[in-house]
Amino acid sequence: MIDKHIIFFGWRIIIFTLKFIYSTYQFELIMPNNNEEEISRIKELESINLSSDEIRDSVVYTKKQVEKENELLASKINLDLKNNQIKSFDIVGAIGAGKTEIISQIVDKVQKKYRTLVICGDITTRVDADRIEAHNAETVQINTGRECALNAYHIHQIIKNKDLQNYDLLFIENVGNLICPSDFILGTDKRIVVVSTTEGEWVIEKHPMLFKMSDIAVINKIDLKERLGTDIEKMIADAKKLNPKIEVVTTSAKTGTNIEKLISIMGL
Amino acid sequence: MKEELKAIERILVDIKSISKEELNNMLKSLFTKISNHIDNYIGDYPTFIEPVYLEGNVEIGDDVLLGPNVYIGANVKIGDYVELSNTIIFDDVILGNNLKLENCIIAPNSHLNFENFKCNSTILSGKADSEKNLTKLSF
Repeated sequence: MIDKHIIFFGWRIIIFTLKFIYSTYQFELIMPNNNEEEISRIKELESINLSSDEIRDSVVYTKKQVEKENELLASKINLDLKNNQIKSFDIVGAIGAGKTEIISQIVDKVQKKYRTLVICGDITTRVDADRIEAHNAETVQINTGRECALNAYHIHQIIKNKDLQNYDLLFIENVGNLICPSDFILGTDKRIVVVSTTEGEWVIEKHPMLFKMSDIAVINKIDLKERLGTDIEKMIADAKKLNPKIEVVTTSAKTGTNIEKLISIMGL
Repeated sequence: MKEELKAIERILVDIKSISKEELNNMLKSLFTKISNHIDNYIGDYPTFIEPVYLEGNVEIGDDVLLGPNVYIGANVKIGDYVELSNTIIFDDVILGNNLKLENCIIAPNSHLNFENFKCNSTILSGKADSEKNLTKLSF
């Protein structure tokens, strides 16, 4: 079991390093034009160069097919949700950024207006789901085991077994990290990326993919910014530089600062 | 949950005593009562989409996806790359590698000792080394 974990995390480190080197290279070359094409090219580089010449073609083919299947399933999910007038959000961010607390705060404030379903992704435990459930939202926990992100198949397995007419709002809290969730879209209307002042002011420029793919960036824990000396303005500028269309909001889920503003930006 | 499971197990003995529609309704009713109980398995971190209920001494292989709506009885051994959803596995069952079962019931003491098999809305029973030798009843 230890060997498997070493191999697994070794792979993720290699993939992340390749992603980061290549995304930085791409960013310098062609940003801000052709954002979608750029994202696609960055994704194609992952892991393929680790395959031997004998299997390279089949690895490329399989990888493209899997990505295509995920995108088709995500489109179906989005259509199913729209047909049932359900607003949907995928929340991504590192462990401890404040995703669960932000969702809890939002659910608390909109519970009279929306019947909410929250899908929580974690490697193990249902700690986050239990925290959110305490705010009167229905939750479903996915424990991904050794996977570091949710994919469209996971979400489809849940919503196809639910009567979607019972819900108005869907949150998907992805597995906590800023790397793997960029591999899979989930079919939600919008993706929200959450970072916090405790992660340092370089966290956004170090994780460009998720900011390019997100609609809203939340910089959380601003109640700690004085004590930590984090340069919030740099973080905002970095997010805007990576994705000029991204909406940026600074919050403190702990004190409730700007949660109403975030709800407004989300259109709830 | 236990009462519904016993009722389904009784039906397996005389499957003609119930219509396909009634069986589907029984399964749907059971799925609403399955609670999450996943802390007691032997194996290497599968993916769980709740609710999944595992009885004692369940052995799970690598890269397995269980759920939603899955009940797995005692002393069950699940191979690698298995995926189960909306499925009931009774006690003392063995599942080979790369089986994908959706809306299925596996009778007690069944051994699916083969690989690469996909099945939907079917009762499976028997001890078989190939898919062809398995007793199947679709519903």
